[in-house]
Amino acid sequence: MAEMQIKPITMNFGPQHPAAHGVLRLVLEMDGEVIERADPHVGLLHRGTEKLIEHKTYLQALPYFDRLDYVSPMNQEHAWALAIERAVGIEVPRRAQYIRVLYCEIGRILNHLLNLTTFAIDVGAMTPLLWGFEEREQLMGFYERACGARLHAAYFRPGGVHQDLPDGLLDEIGDWANEFPAFINDLETLLTDNRIFKQRTVDIGVITEEAALDLGITGPCLRGSGVAWDLRKAQPYDAYAEMEFDVPVGKTGDCYARYLVRVEEMRQSLRIIRQCIDNMPDGPVLAENNKVTPPKRGDMKHSMEALIHHFKLYTEGFHVPEGESYTAVEAPKGEFGVYLVADGSNKPYRCKIRAPGFYFMAAVDYLSRGHMLADSVAIIGSLDIVFGEIDR
Amino acid sequence: MTDNVTPDNQTAAQEVSAQTTMIEHLRKLLDADLQDAAVVQDQIVLRIPASSIQQVLAALRDDKYAAFNQLSDLTAVDYPERPERFELVYQLLSMRNNMRLRLLAAVGEGQAVPSATTVYSAANWAEREVWDMFGIFFAGHPDLRRLLTDYGFEGHPLRKDFPLTGHVEVRYDDTLRRVVNEPVSLVQEFRDFDFLSPWEGMQAQIPGDEKAGKEG
Amino acid sequence: MGVIDPRTAAPIGPGPEQDAILKAVGDEITNRGFVIASADKLFNWARSGSLWPMTFGLACCAVEMMHSAASRYDMDRYGMLFRPSPRQSDVMIVAGTLTNKMAPALRRVYDQMPEPRWVLSMGSCANGGGYYHYSYAVVRGCDRIVPVDVYVPGCPPTAEALIYGLLQLQKKIRRTATIARG
Repeated sequence: MAEMQIKPITMNFGPQHPAAHGVLRLVLEMDGEVIERADPHVGLLHRGTEKLIEHKTYLQALPYFDRLDYVSPMNQEHAWALAIERAVGIEVPRRAQYIRVLYCEIGRILNHLLNLTTFAIDVGAMTPLLWGFEEREQLMGFYERACGARLHAAYFRPGGVHQDLPDGLLDEIGDWANEFPAFINDLETLLTDNRIFKQRTVDIGVITEEAALDLGITGPCLRGSGVAWDLRKAQPYDAYAEMEFDVPVGKTGDCYARYLVRVEEMRQSLRIIRQCIDNMPDGPVLAENNKVTPPKRGDMKHSMEALIHHFKLYTEGFHVPEGESYTAVEAPKGEFGVYLVADGSNKPYRCKIRAPGFYFMAAVDYLSRGHMLADSVAIIGSLDIVFGEIDR
Repeated sequence: MTDNVTPDNQTAAQEVSAQTTMIEHLRKLLDADLQDAAVVQDQIVLRIPASSIQQVLAALRDDKYAAFNQLSDLTAVDYPERPERFELVYQLLSMRNNMRLRLLAAVGEGQAVPSATTVYSAANWAEREVWDMFGIFFAGHPDLRRLLTDYGFEGHPLRKDFPLTGHVEVRYDDTLRRVVNEPVSLVQEFRDFDFLSPWEGMQAQIPGDEKAGKEG
Repeated sequence: MGVIDPRTAAPIGPGPEQDAILKAVGDEITNRGFVIASADKLFNWARSGSLWPMTFGLACCAVEMMHSAASRYDMDRYGMLFRPSPRQSDVMIVAGTLTNKMAPALRRVYDQMPEPRWVLSMGSCANGGGYYHYSYAVVRGCDRIVPVDVYVPGCPPTAEALIYGLLQLQKKIRRTATIARG
C-alpha cells in the first residue's frame, strides 16, 4: 500500500451551534477525530460594557452587571454593590445582608440548574432540562416577587437592597426549599449513575490542581480539581461569616467531578437558604445615608430635603472618593471580581470586570487537546460558560 | 486548604499586621525591583517598573512564604495626562496566606512589556485583551491577536480618547449582499451631562457686568 | 391553531361551534372523498401551524427563550419545535444583543434559511440596541441586518411575551396572501 500523507483538518464550530452555549466560535485543528489544537474565537457578544460603565453613573452602571452572567444576575450585582460600599464606606443593615445572601444562593441554584441540565442535554439527556426548568421557573418567581423582574433584577443596591421582601415570600421560599432536595435526588437518579453520562464525562477534560491554579480557574471547576477554595469561606462578605455550610471538593478534576461538585453545592446552598430564612433579622433593608441611598417614597411626600436627595441621586448620582479597589465575590461560576478605579466624580474612571468564565474559555485549548471532537462539547458544558460575562 | 485559613474572627489589627509583615518580606524578596509598597483598603499594593514584571511575578509565585499562586486578573488603566499613560494592574491571590496583592506598573505608549505568560498561563488571554483594549504590546507573548473586538477592528476602545460609540457601524447592504461597515451616524447623540459644575451658575461674564463689579 | 371563522378570521375555540364545523368537514370527506379549501388558506394554515424556530440564542434573552420552550410554557403546544439548523427552520428568533462581530454570521444564518422565512426580534437589544445602544460594538437594532416581522419589547421579554409575539407572527402569516394574483 502506498504511503499516505494525512493532513490535519481545520474545523469551524459555531458561532451558531446548539452546544456552543451562546455565541462561541471554535476553530479546531483536527487529526482525524482527535483535536490537536482548539482556538476559541470569543468577542461575538462583546458589548463594550466596561466602556459604557465609564460613561454612566454608579447607579446607572449597576444593571450592566445583571447582563453579564445572565444566568445568575444578582451575584454579579453583589460584587458591584460591595465595591461601592467599600469605596464609600457604608455599613449594610443586617436584614439587607441576609436578603442578599439568600438571593445569592438562589442565584447559585439557578445557575447550577441551568448548567447541569444543559450539560446533560449536550451529552444526550433531555429529561433533566424539562425537570430543572420547572424549578428555575419557581426560583424566577421568587426573583419577580422581590424585585419585579424575572431575570434582570437590579435589586442589590449600594447600601442594601432596593426594597423589602413582600409578606409571605420567605415562607414560600421555605416551602420550596423543603421540596427541592427531592428534586436533586431525582436529578441524580437520572445522571449520577447513568452509564451514558459517565462514559461521556469521566476522565474527560481533566484539570490537575497545578494547572487549574496556573490557568486562573476558580469556583466549582477549581474545587472539582481538589482545591478547597471558596471565597465565601476564605474571605467572607456580608452575612456569609455567620452561615454554616460545607465546601464540596472533587477528586479527579474531570467533567464528572465538576458535575458532582455542582450537585453538592446546590444542597449546601439550600442549607444557607434555610439558615437565612430561619434567622432573618428585622430592620431596615437600605442604609440610612441619603447621600448614597435614596429616601423612602413616603418621606418624599412630606420632606423637601428627601425630595432634593432623591432628585440629586437619580440625576447626578453620588460621588465616590478617589481610590482603587478590587472586590471579589464567589459567583456560581467562580471568582467574580470588580476592579474599580474612582476619581472622585459620579462616574467610575475605570471598571474592570474579572469574569470567571473568561479564564475557563482560555483553558479550553489546554483541556480539549488530545480529546475527541464530541468530548469538546462535554468539556464546554462542564466548564459552565456564559458569554455575557466572557465577552462583556 | 480551608483548614489553615481562618475565615473570620480575624480582627482587623491582625490582618493589618499580616499585611505589613508581608510587605516587609516582599521588600527583602524583591529588593531593587520594588518602587513602592503600601496597604490600600486592606490590599497590598506594590509599584514596580514594567521591565521587571516577569521576574517579580516569578518571585512572588515561587517564594515559599509569599506563594501568590494565582493570577486573578490582569488589566490596564489609561491616564492620558500622565507622561507614561498606561498603568498595568496585576491582581494576585495567595491562597496560603489568604491575601490579595496588586501590582502596578506604569507603561508608556508604544512601550513593550515583558509577557507574563511564562509565569502564569492565565495571563495569555488577559494580555490579549489588554492588547486589544489598550494597545499595550507584550513582548514574548505566544499569540498576541485581538480577542474581543470585531475582525478588522481599528483602534483600542478602552483608551480614554476612543469615543464611546466608536467610528464604524454595520449594516446589511442589499445591493452588495453583504454586511458593510459605515461611519457612525446616530439619530440622537449620547447624552453626557457634566455634573461636576452644575450648581455654580454661569462662569462666563455677561457683557456689561464688569461695570457692576467696579461700582461695588 | 384551530378552526378559524371564515367570516371574521377569528379562531373558534373548542366547543359546540367548533365541533359543528369539524363535523361538516368530516362528513364532506366521508361523503365525497375530498374537501374544497382555498389554497391560500391551506398554505397559511400549514405554515402558521408548524412554525419551527431556530435556536439562536445570543445573550440574556436566550434564557427566556429556553424557558418558553421548556416545561412550563411548552411551545410545542403550538407546533413550535426548536431546530438546531437554519435549513430546517422557518423563523429565526434573534434573542439578545447583536454585535458587530456577530452580524455577518447572523446574516449568513438567515440566508441559509429556506423561504418562506420570518424573523422575530426579541428584547430591546435586538430591537434597537437597548441598554447598549451607544456602544462601539453593538448593532443598533437587528433590522439593520435582517428584515424583521415581529418585535417583542422587554429586557428581557418574559417567556409569555415571547409566546405572544410568536402568536402575533402566526396571525401575520394567516393574513398574508401566498399566491400572487395577476
